Amino acid sequence: MKTKGFAKHYYMMMAPGLLWLVLFSIVPMFGIVIAFQDFNPGKGILGSEFIGLETFKYMFTLSDTLNVFYNTIIIAIMKIIGNLIVPLVFALMLNEIRYIGLKRSIQTIVYLPHFLSWVILGGVLLDIFAYQGPINQLLGIFGVEPILFFAQADLFPFLVVGSDVWKEFGFNTIIYLAALTGINPALYEAAGIDGASRFRMLWHVTLPGIRTTAVLLAVLSLGNVLNAGFDQIFNLYNPLVYSTGDIIDTWVYRAGLLNLQYELATAVGLLKSVAGFILISLSYFLAYKFTNYRIF
Amino acid sequence: MLRSKSLSSKMTDAILIAILVIVAITCILPLWYTLSLSLSSKTAAAAGAVALWPVDFNFDSYKQLLQDSQFFKSFWISVQRVVLGAGLNFIIVPLMAYPLSKTVKDFRGRNVLMWTVIFTMLFNGGLIPLYITIQEYNLMNSIWALVLVGGAQTIVFNIILTINFFRNLPKSLEEAALVDGAGPWYILFKLFIPLSIPVLATVSLFSIVYHWNEFLYGLIFMTREEFYPLQTYIQQLVVSVDPSTMTEDQYKRMSELSNRTLDAAKIFIAMIPVLVVYPFLQRYFIHGITLGSVKE
Amino acid sequence: MRRKFLGVFIIFLSLFLVACTGDSKESSSEEGSGEQPGTTGDMDPFGKYEEPITIAIGQEVDPTDTSLQDGDTPLDNQYTRHVKEHLNIDVEHAFTASPANYDQKVSLAIASNDLPDAMVVGPVELRQMVEADQIADLTKVYENYASPAIKEIIDSSEGVALENATFDGKIMAIPNSQAGADGVHNLWIRKDWLDKLGLEPPKTVEDLKAVAKAFVEQDPDGNGSDDTIGLAGPDTSNKLYANFLESTNNLYGFDGIFSALHAYPGYWIEGDDGQPVYGSILPETKEALAVLRDMYSEGLIDPEMGVREDSGESIISGNTGMFFGPFWMPYGPLTDAITNNPDANWQSYALPLDANGEYTPHLSTTTTQYVVVRKGYEHPEAAMKILNNLLAHESEFDPSIGGPGYYPLRLVYAPADEMEVTTIALREVLAGTKEPEDYYNMPAYKLLKSDVDQIHEVKLEPYDNTDIQYWDPDANLGYWTRAYSALVGTAPLVDTEIKGVKSLIYSQTKTMEDRWVNLKKLEEETFMKIIIGTEPLDAFDQFVENWKSQGGEQITDEVAEIAQ
Repeated sequence: MKTKGFAKHYYMMMAPGLLWLVLFSIVPMFGIVIAFQDFNPGKGILGSEFIGLETFKYMFTLSDTLNVFYNTIIIAIMKIIGNLIVPLVFALMLNEIRYIGLKRSIQTIVYLPHFLSWVILGGVLLDIFAYQGPINQLLGIFGVEPILFFAQADLFPFLVVGSDVWKEFGFNTIIYLAALTGINPALYEAAGIDGASRFRMLWHVTLPGIRTTAVLLAVLSLGNVLNAGFDQIFNLYNPLVYSTGDIIDTWVYRAGLLNLQYELATAVGLLKSVAGFILISLSYFLAYKFTNYRIF
Repeated sequence: MLRSKSLSSKMTDAILIAILVIVAITCILPLWYTLSLSLSSKTAAAAGAVALWPVDFNFDSYKQLLQDSQFFKSFWISVQRVVLGAGLNFIIVPLMAYPLSKTVKDFRGRNVLMWTVIFTMLFNGGLIPLYITIQEYNLMNSIWALVLVGGAQTIVFNIILTINFFRNLPKSLEEAALVDGAGPWYILFKLFIPLSIPVLATVSLFSIVYHWNEFLYGLIFMTREEFYPLQTYIQQLVVSVDPSTMTEDQYKRMSELSNRTLDAAKIFIAMIPVLVVYPFLQRYFIHGITLGSVKE
Repeated sequence: MRRKFLGVFIIFLSLFLVACTGDSKESSSEEGSGEQPGTTGDMDPFGKYEEPITIAIGQEVDPTDTSLQDGDTPLDNQYTRHVKEHLNIDVEHAFTASPANYDQKVSLAIASNDLPDAMVVGPVELRQMVEADQIADLTKVYENYASPAIKEIIDSSEGVALENATFDGKIMAIPNSQAGADGVHNLWIRKDWLDKLGLEPPKTVEDLKAVAKAFVEQDPDGNGSDDTIGLAGPDTSNKLYANFLESTNNLYGFDGIFSALHAYPGYWIEGDDGQPVYGSILPETKEALAVLRDMYSEGLIDPEMGVREDSGESIISGNTGMFFGPFWMPYGPLTDAITNNPDANWQSYALPLDANGEYTPHLSTTTTQYVVVRKGYEHPEAAMKILNNLLAHESEFDPSIGGPGYYPLRLVYAPADEMEVTTIALREVLAGTKEPEDYYNMPAYKLLKSDVDQIHEVKLEPYDNTDIQYWDPDANLGYWTRAYSALVGTAPLVDTEIKGVKSLIYSQTKTMEDRWVNLKKLEEETFMKIIIGTEPLDAFDQFVENWKSQGGEQITDEVAEIAQ
């Protein structure tokens, strides 16, 4: 076989895409040096004075920094768990339905929210959970006092996680459903002949059949531990829930673009990038090790 | 499949169906609520009297919307952005993915390039350097800023998905073509791409949804409202104004004009394209996601 | 006899001065428009450029504003055309942004050092730009080109306005200066509810609690359901209290309660030792927080405070009984409130009083905004001329075909006592002790003439009773808003002896640039949580310690240096 000389063509194929990434991802990275400067906009990045790790030292004296990292990780981990389990349960339930038309309609409806933006859903959710909104009206029927959902710092992370899982579970269900259809029907037949109950079949045939998929998805989501969802939180939060709801990305946005703390914003952003890189690498090796699967 | 007809099994079915239907309903409820709000009177909306059904049913907000030329301008910008963004994505993704799906043996630079690409996904210098860069490229207020910046950040994920899909295509196909003396371009365009329609449709869908829903770059790179894409336009309308820095006249006008029903009408119209597009792409992306991401 | 003479003399003198400034303005603007060559050189505040010049500005454009008519745009409207015609300046937009996003655009412009020729900024941005050496020294421009009317208004702030814009002896920006009235946060009450329940306006904080309790529990709106709010609380875009950086127009805060208890959180005041101290860390503030905390737990304060997008909504819908806000609240939710319910009798009071029976609110700075000019822009005086032109012609524009916000680089200029003078004038005209014509020649008070001319349209007899049933808002709702703001909103400021408290500074110090945002956040969060009860009251002590250690002490030293 002659694959010699193909490399040249491979480079040619990749050239436009690489150029794109270089121009729009790599070039803007020069800004990372701001984290090590006393940035003076008048002098620009080239003219500003370097101050080494000063900003990083200040960053660690701020209670905010720890707090936003903590919030980010908590929210992201809850999202990861929710987005693994809820779709799995939903897929298993849907799999039990034998009316194809109904099954398909439900499936189509539940991944609708995935396609809507957080700008839109944020506005809608705030309305629905408002003090006089439908949810509180509904609770009122059962004599529950109205609750200010999006003002409760202790509730906010759960609302964020809940609404994210709600938005995404339908879409994530697809992957499980596909794995479920991949299970050999003969296994069910055999179990049926043995007189196994529906529940036992679920336990002994269905779950083992999709175990690999579940493990792989879990490992892959590791890379998202520092991504708690800027778009979502940006459109939902308010100062009352900063203590539990402010994440790295929203904090960096406010620090850099509203409060003119350029150095601090860049430093925190950089810290996040580094940690994210380590996590992705970790998930790459874990996936390879446990499922013999190479992500990229 | 097993056909168990026992009573308890029927009960289980009924309960399952009930749960699934309720969950499905929660997924369209926000949509319904927004529609109700947009068809209600302004005072009812302000007083929070709207729950499931429109109060004082009328079409005023839609009539008003028809006169808002900026809404349609922004709508058109978003359409253009989606076409350009998804089109570019469709071309570049296979060109990047094909060489990167090779092993190091076939393509020596593969690992370095792969990690470079991953690196661009994880690191960034923050919004301010990005802004300066776009300014230097003279792309402020250009739709290409939205297409290229957003695209560069999402394309990597799409490339990874496609790499996985390519890897799972039967090796024998490529080997046979090589024996026949086919070159890499021929293999990619005549062999791989036709076989990869599901995954390419999927990444296109991702790209379409991303470009339609993204709002932040519109806010950053566009210096005037007339250049805003639709989600940016909606975001600035929905975000509350800061009265502490407002003049009296502004405040007065705001209180006269603030209009939740009109906002709801805009939000509802903004959802429609997505609602129209996704059922058509459904059958592709179900294949694309499952084949691309997870294969036993 | 002698004294009387002196008084008359002073009145004469001031009338003469007013007449002079009025005259000079008139004549110079006329001259300006018809003037011949060489005007750029001769320092005429209204001089028209011989050759057209261009100024690219950053402009706030409210996306919900639909007032522009006949194909006008934010860039081509009565204001820009006026500027072109009178000054031969072409206005361009370097950027526009909605009010919520304007700061973000300014920040990007500063960070990337790609500045518009001129723009309007706040004190934080101003300091940053001075540090970065990005803006032009406007000392000469101000001295040579500021119109007499603007100088008069700026001087009426007793030097504060210019001081705020001066760095190392150089005037780096053109400050605005506005009425002091919007820095005082009156107590607004549904008087019809008071009357119905047989209550009096609350004199003290204790009274106020009793009234709030009655409003919450005794169903004052008589609809049989338990849906009333005693005292409104701040929404997401407002604060618990105005602070030294944003000292005006805090809606639905608790400013009145804090100051009645002699607590001045957010203000730099003189401590017992004569040294500057930050009001938020003093024991008085802790006591006031304890009061608010009790009120909240008893349900006297809006339980939704801090989360509402707009606390005005529950005022409009008729659920709220009291709130704190500046005189111009009729421009806010009250217009809608009386449209919804013509009996909603909102009245305004300089209450509650302190332990000695005195009214002791905190006062604002008169300057909140600045126009800055990019360093290296060829015509720095153009910005000054645009502002001169605004003040000279503001009353000629028709707001119904494009709101005043479209005027390029618009800063608000008003004499510090504008509202108080208006209130007194309206009363005199209504009482018949003065004729409208008596007020025609006071150009610095831009709206006074139209005010005195229209008052009879909306005010019904008896003229000295301002209850809502003695008004006819439908006759001219737009003007009713203003008249009600004057005769009801401003009345307490005219009728009460105000023992106000000023902040020692109203701008940032060096260390604040880096630290203030985080300190302020710490403060806001802690106080809010103490009030709504998610943190114990003693969290205050921890806050004081944290505040000091996280830069507060250093900042206090800096304030002492500046204030001395």
